[in-house]
Amino acid sequence: MDALYGVALRLAGRGVDAEDLVADAVMKAWTAIDTLADRSRFRPWIFRILRNCYFSDYRKKAVRPSESSLQEDDEHALAALLNEQPDEFLIWWANPERQFYNDVLGETIMAAIRSLPEAFQVTILLINVEGLTYDEAAAALDVPQGTIRSRMKRARTLLQKSLWEQAQDAGITSTEQ
Amino acid sequence: MNSTDDKHDIGCLKAIELFYAYLDGELDDPTANADFEHHMSHCRSCYSRQEIEQLLTKRMRESAKSQAPDVLQDRLRKLMDGLQDGEH
Repeated sequence: MDALYGVALRLAGRGVDAEDLVADAVMKAWTAIDTLADRSRFRPWIFRILRNCYFSDYRKKAVRPSESSLQEDDEHALAALLNEQPDEFLIWWANPERQFYNDVLGETIMAAIRSLPEAFQVTILLINVEGLTYDEAAAALDVPQGTIRSRMKRARTLLQKSLWEQAQDAGITSTEQ
Repeated sequence: MNSTDDKHDIGCLKAIELFYAYLDGELDDPTANADFEHHMSHCRSCYSRQEIEQLLTKRMRESAKSQAPDVLQDRLRKLMDGLQDGEH
C-alpha cells in the first residue's frame, strides 16, 4: 500500500490525485485478479495497473518534463551522456565529496529526483526505494529489462548531476582537485 | 580515474557500465561480477564512487519512502467491502 502510494504520489504529483490513482488501481486489480496466473508476480502486476491508470486517466492533468529526448535504449548512452557533461561535473563524479553526501538533506535528494524525466523518476523509485528487481520493474513499466538497465545508469548519473548543481549553488564544490 | 598495467583489469569505463547493475544486485554474469570486483579492489576512484552511490541509495530510501495516509486506507477498506458485497 505505502509503495503504491509512493509511486502514485510521484506520478500524479498531488496528494488527492495520488489517492484517487491508488484507489482506481486497487479497484481494477480486484476485478481483474483472476487474470493473474502467477500470484508471485502480484507486485509488478499491480504496479503495472497503477501505471496504466495513470497514463489513461491522470497524465493529461499533470505537467511533467518531456521524455522525447530520452535515448534510453542506446547501449552507449551512458558514455555519451558523460561526454556531454562539463569537466567540472566529471571531476566531481570521479572524486565525490563525501561530506556533501553525509550532510545532504532528504529534501535535497527529493528535489534532485523530481528534476529527472518522469520515466527515470519512476524507475529509480521502483528499484532503489521500493526494492523491485529489474525484472519486476520491467513488467511493471511494460518495457524490456534492457531499458530498465539503461534507465538506471542514466537516471543515477543525472541524479548525481542535479546534486552536483545543488552543491555548486551551495558553494561546496570546487573545480580545483 | 586510475590507470593500471593489470591485463585482467576491465578498466574504469567498463566498470562504469556495470556499476549500477552491480549495486542493485542485478549483475547475473559471474564473470562480469568477478571482473567488476577485481577492478574495485585496486581502483580507488571507482571504489570511492561505489561507496558514495551506496550511501546515496540509502539516503534515497530513507527520504523517498511514503506512507499512505489514513484517509486512503479507510477509503480502500470501504472500497473492498463494497466490492465484496457486490459479489454476493
